[in-house]
Amino acid sequence: MILLRTLFPTAALMASLPTAAQMAPADTLADHTLDQVVVTGTRTPKSLLSTPVQTLVISGDDIRKADATDLRDLLSQVLPGVEFSYAMNQQTHMNFAGFGGQSVLVLVDGQRLAGETMDDVDFARLDMQNVDHIEIVKSAASALYGSNAAGGVINIITKDAAATWHANVNARIGRHGQQRYGLSAATGGNRWSTALTASRTAADNYNVSSGPNPVSRVVSTIYGDETWNVSDATVYRPSDRWKMTARGGYFFRQTKRSPDTPERYRDFSGSLRAEGRIGSKGNIDVNYVFDQYDKSDYQRIAHLDIRGYSNVQNSLRALYTHTFDAGNILSAGADYMHDYLYNSKLSGNTRRQDSFDAFAQYDWTITDRLETVAALRYDWFSDGPVSRLTPKVSLRYTPFSGMNIRIGYGMGFRAPTLKEKYYNFDMAGIWIVEGNSSLKPEKSHNFNISAEYNYRNYSITVGGCCNSIRDKIGTGAPYFITTDDMPRLPYINLDTYHVMGLDATLRARWQNGLSARLSYAYVDERLPKDKEGHGLSSEYLPARKHSVVAHADWDHRMSKWYALNIGIDGHYYSGVDNEEFADYYDVSRGTNVIHYPAYSLWRLQMVNSLGKAVKLTVTVDNIFNYRPDYYYLNAPRTDGTNVMVGLSVDIDKLF
Amino acid sequence: MRRIKTVYAAMAVAVALTATACNGILSDIYDEPRDSALGSGQLVVDATNWHDWYYIDFDSLAAIAATGDSAALAHAETSFTPYPIPTALTTEPADTTTGMYTYWFDVFGRGLDNYDKRAFTPTDAQPKPAHWSIAVHRNNVRTNGGAVFETNYSSIADLPPTGAAFASATFTPDEWSERDVWVDQSQMLRSLIGCQGIMVNKVLSSWIKVAIPPMPPAFTGNSHVFIIRFPNGKMAAVQLANYISPKGAKCWLTINYKYPY
Repeated sequence: MILLRTLFPTAALMASLPTAAQMAPADTLADHTLDQVVVTGTRTPKSLLSTPVQTLVISGDDIRKADATDLRDLLSQVLPGVEFSYAMNQQTHMNFAGFGGQSVLVLVDGQRLAGETMDDVDFARLDMQNVDHIEIVKSAASALYGSNAAGGVINIITKDAAATWHANVNARIGRHGQQRYGLSAATGGNRWSTALTASRTAADNYNVSSGPNPVSRVVSTIYGDETWNVSDATVYRPSDRWKMTARGGYFFRQTKRSPDTPERYRDFSGSLRAEGRIGSKGNIDVNYVFDQYDKSDYQRIAHLDIRGYSNVQNSLRALYTHTFDAGNILSAGADYMHDYLYNSKLSGNTRRQDSFDAFAQYDWTITDRLETVAALRYDWFSDGPVSRLTPKVSLRYTPFSGMNIRIGYGMGFRAPTLKEKYYNFDMAGIWIVEGNSSLKPEKSHNFNISAEYNYRNYSITVGGCCNSIRDKIGTGAPYFITTDDMPRLPYINLDTYHVMGLDATLRARWQNGLSARLSYAYVDERLPKDKEGHGLSSEYLPARKHSVVAHADWDHRMSKWYALNIGIDGHYYSGVDNEEFADYYDVSRGTNVIHYPAYSLWRLQMVNSLGKAVKLTVTVDNIFNYRPDYYYLNAPRTDGTNVMVGLSVDIDKLF
Repeated sequence: MRRIKTVYAAMAVAVALTATACNGILSDIYDEPRDSALGSGQLVVDATNWHDWYYIDFDSLAAIAATGDSAALAHAETSFTPYPIPTALTTEPADTTTGMYTYWFDVFGRGLDNYDKRAFTPTDAQPKPAHWSIAVHRNNVRTNGGAVFETNYSSIADLPPTGAAFASATFTPDEWSERDVWVDQSQMLRSLIGCQGIMVNKVLSSWIKVAIPPMPPAFTGNSHVFIIRFPNGKMAAVQLANYISPKGAKCWLTINYKYPY
């Protein structure tokens, strides 16, 4: 019923919009979106329309319209099949089309991020203020990414530092003490440019109440936090052939969960990248990245800031591409990473690992209508050691103009993480999460197919993927060493695990300023079982089978001094069943099926552009004042309608 | 040529950075866990264990202080003998209420106010020393027949010169509890907690507030000064200066005290 309530107004809205024939063809959807250059699928620049690897792009325009603060905020609004729920201690957990954080690679400009909590990166780090666009490649179709990429790659592409002076300040406030302040400034010349971005967010704790007799854990207080995020990118072009980029960043987050011992999270990052042309057909890209993610508890009474976790990654990457006369491209490269992990909950506290990979890819344009990309990748990890050679292949066929069919196969490989091998976490005397140094790597086979048709103002994409993961790593059934011991949850290799997904997106954009998008995703995530076929209680809630995301907006300039963008967003998640142990102390009693209800949320936003420099945004989030009956871990964090007001000023356009 | 040198220099810097920053940078911004020096009139009790009570005898401490032996006093202020909480009956039951009470608490749901008594197991009486003033077990405190008043003072130094100033205050004696002294968490995943049935002073125990949910619990300290009035009319002033060990363990108690007050 909720699904019908979601789909009907959206479908009615799209049906009532002008048809293509009524519109002038000059400003088509392709002009806006499909010419987007993407790099994630092949690591070489390809247009979104022509890349053989199916790539989903969240454009800068989409990001601006979503007015999102961080990646969690953005993906929740624009992408079906992605859900953020709570894990232990209200850490955010992402389910990305049936894959958890340990199988989804989140990158910033192609670089992986250090640190994790409950297997997920710190999404608050991923400030949307300076993002140009986001590229998403689902499942292991992304040919050149190894460990952690079986579920897909989310690559956040930041804006290039502009050669001209630009400055912006912005602020947004909302309920529960929500505050967001941003600053960006850029300047440059012929040879160099630099861009600085800073943001500050804060939110208070607030209580929520559930009905009687919940069937699973509920949340009674939503905990707030405060963050600081500062980054700088400086580009120097010593010649027309070379470009060098230096980046630095600092991130700080402090929770408000426990007033006497707030948890602190910090990240220090820096990178140095050199890109150049060698001869007329070669390109080289060498990149060094440092990323350090720390967690500490601040003891307010004793004024002690005690660090309990530090993950330091030093990566060096080299990529060479050679373009042949026929337009075919050979890419070859290698990555080296030194991974240092200090964790007071880790057996031995400190672990180190070196990893190395080498890959080669050939992008072969067979005909104008047929293009294929084939790649081989070799991964090696020092802790074990373990290694694997994985092939991947993708193909694009264009039977006629506007139509693309893509097919891909990728073999996935994920080495167990240092945490999964050496964790020894006593969770407040309730249970012990236990690492397993004998874990085998996950191996997976991933198939995907998609069809895309673009005609004037319309675009429709339909795709599907099938993933089979052998030796999936997860927590097994609790066991006891002695009868008076607390239960131990060991990491084990589970039975073969399957995830199947289907998705469809319909987009339209018209000359009169109207645009609309309707996306649907189906995810069938088979619940995990152990090697003997016994049901298990997953540490995370599974993906919801059906989800729909709808968006429509209207852009109109009323006068030289005033323009309006009014948009509506909605998303729907179906209910989901999860198997959970009937009794953690006696797993022979089997599992119960727990049902988590469906929900739908809608949001209205009005952006008023005053002159060239000022934008006043009013957002009504949760316009139908939806409140979950039970605040389960995967319930939305809303306690009713939230009105947010934001102001953005482009200082350089004021004068 | 100059530009190529620039590229090489940048790559050399990258390699150098790789070699120097393997274990991270800026470690100086963090503190190392360290025991802070014991202040005058201060006790340190490691009450983190769920299974033991620790007894404090202010008369003994005052007697040692009177000798002027600072080493002996420092030892007495930091060394306390654990008295295990009985979990079984080995002798004739002292009464019908002494024992272990198993309660279901809604720890993963609506919180501790939602509970249900599930079982009672008689046990031996709680052992105790011959002389004691107060006893501590994690966030719980008992008095030896005393009563407690919570002041609004946040420093013992600011108190009136003697306890007579609080003669008209309402002091709260210990009261029976069978849900506060959590001893057995082995069935926590069933939301069942084994609690000792025993007298506790709820006013003094409020110097640490434990909130559940969330899980793990959220602790908050109360830095007010509490006045304890004993049956012999003597008074003590106590204040919880800290409840967290340098390594972060909760219920590691640093207590400021003044006795007699």
